[in-house]
Amino acid sequence: MKLVNIYKTFYPDSPKEVKALTNINLTFEKGEFTTLSGESGSGKTTLLNIIGGLDTATSGQIFLDDEEISAYSEEKMAKLRLHDIGFIFQAYNLIHVLTVRENIGFIMKLLKFDDKEIDARILELASILKIEDILDKLPGEISGGQQQRVAVARAVASRPKFILADEPTANLDSKNSERLMEMLRTLNEKEHVTVIFASHDKYVLEQSKRIIVLDDGVVIEDR
Amino acid sequence: MFEIAKHLAWLTLWRRKTRSMMVIIMIGLSLGGLLSIQGLYDGMVTHMINTTIRSDSGEISLYAKGYRLEKSLDHRLTPLLHIKKSLSCIEGINAYAIRLQQEGLIATAHKSRGATLKGISLKKEREFGQFDTFVTKGTYSFGKNGKEALIGSGLADKLNLSVGSRVVFTAQDASDEINAISFRISGIFKTANKSLDENAVFVSMEKMERFLSLRESATQIGLRINETDQIAKIQKALQRSFPDIKVLRWDELYPLLIQMQDIMKVFNWVSYAIVFTVAALGIFGVMLVSVLERIREFSIMLAIGTPYIMVRDQIIMEAVFLGIIGYIAGAVLGWLALLYMSTAGVDLRSFEAGLEMYGYSAIMYADIRLYYFLQAFFAVFFATLLSVIWPLRVLKKIKPILIIQGKML
Repeated sequence: MKLVNIYKTFYPDSPKEVKALTNINLTFEKGEFTTLSGESGSGKTTLLNIIGGLDTATSGQIFLDDEEISAYSEEKMAKLRLHDIGFIFQAYNLIHVLTVRENIGFIMKLLKFDDKEIDARILELASILKIEDILDKLPGEISGGQQQRVAVARAVASRPKFILADEPTANLDSKNSERLMEMLRTLNEKEHVTVIFASHDKYVLEQSKRIIVLDDGVVIEDR
Repeated sequence: MFEIAKHLAWLTLWRRKTRSMMVIIMIGLSLGGLLSIQGLYDGMVTHMINTTIRSDSGEISLYAKGYRLEKSLDHRLTPLLHIKKSLSCIEGINAYAIRLQQEGLIATAHKSRGATLKGISLKKEREFGQFDTFVTKGTYSFGKNGKEALIGSGLADKLNLSVGSRVVFTAQDASDEINAISFRISGIFKTANKSLDENAVFVSMEKMERFLSLRESATQIGLRINETDQIAKIQKALQRSFPDIKVLRWDELYPLLIQMQDIMKVFNWVSYAIVFTVAALGIFGVMLVSVLERIREFSIMLAIGTPYIMVRDQIIMEAVFLGIIGYIAGAVLGWLALLYMSTAGVDLRSFEAGLEMYGYSAIMYADIRLYYFLQAFFAVFFATLLSVIWPLRVLKKIKPILIIQGKML
């Protein structure tokens, strides 16, 4: 994925105008394990949302496999998100009426995977994430850490090209944070999924292979 | 994808059981009430029409031209032999009744008033419209020598007559001579056909012919036709066969009944509009609240790539489930009520006098027709679809990322 001259301005041409991102030029290779870091308000979540097509840039272009995705329609972008991007949000955001099993398989169902394949994948992920015994429970019946692991399983179940995680460890204790990072690392290494975090958690930064530091919407460091 | 939407809709519907049940009960009760009222209204009018046809007009009546304008014996159907022969050749006529009628004065020792004397055949009237079932007091007979008469309940009340009372009827015969004849009352009938109950006295046809010095004559021939779709066709055939005779359908003879039927239709439509509005507002309220309280959940679904169309289908399905379950509850409730009212009837004898004034029977029986349930189904279904338009507009306008970040709603 390639980001060229990305600018994002909130409330343009008004007294409340905020320049959230300025002249961002980045390239993400397949299988990267990267963290967008920076202080609160530095623009890391905004950048992550633009990468994931949840938000649009004020100007600039985004290319995926040489195809410009920043010009996609809402519908086409939704399709791209469904097929190629897995999201992990800070608040787990599971579907309350579905069981853990159904939540994990939700995207695979939308993508019309075979039922057997879905079941096998759910069991595989449940085993990795140690959530086998809660598969038939509803989200309201499990702990926050378990919900976050379910959200991770849902994001990675269909083997997307990208996993975008916004402060995934913010609501987790250190033990659960370690387990989550270990799991994402395993997926990254085994399945070559590109993982991009927006986080200022030290532990996440330590685990990352590449760190991009933003300050006031500008990339100040890329190592 | 539709299957997933259906599954989610069903599960979500029962997440707030009390709220969903309240809407279902609301739709069920209003629809059940509507169906009951519709069946009862229709039953009232159907009963009136049925009674009128059985007791008087049949589906078609034949009159001599001019008789209905000037009820004189000069305008009578004769000779009957030719007419009877032709009627037996026309397919679709199940029974007919020949009546000879003259207006005159009925008197007791104390009172008198205008009335209509009708010569009939008891056997033919029983075949024609089971007239014997209208006799509420006394017997369905003209006595051994045909010297007895049946009298309408309203007329009997006005003259203080009871079974066994004697009356004298005075009228002009065919040669314009004034004649009088006396009868003993053998039975009192009540048809809910006001003109008969308050004016008619039935005597044997032979007696009537002798009284009026006539033979082989009638003032009216009523025909029964079982197949309603054949009525117009038979009317035309009869008119062709008897160009000098007036051939009239029951609705042409009693246009007021058709007007009442139309009024009942208007009542029914108004009732439908009320139920439709209640159902639509009920479902709308639930769906709007349901969408607003789950706006974050929908945002997440949209953010992770769920197509809008699936979320839309889920919301529509939720409303459809509510509507359909409410409809089933209402239809079952309405059907049970109609079943009871069509067999046991609704006893309104305490309002008898008022009801009879308008020609209604004091015990009302409801109709049950398939189209009530079809109409109700489409009304609820349409109300359901209409009720989700606004919640869907709300959903269409949301920006998932702003909701997730808590910057919207």
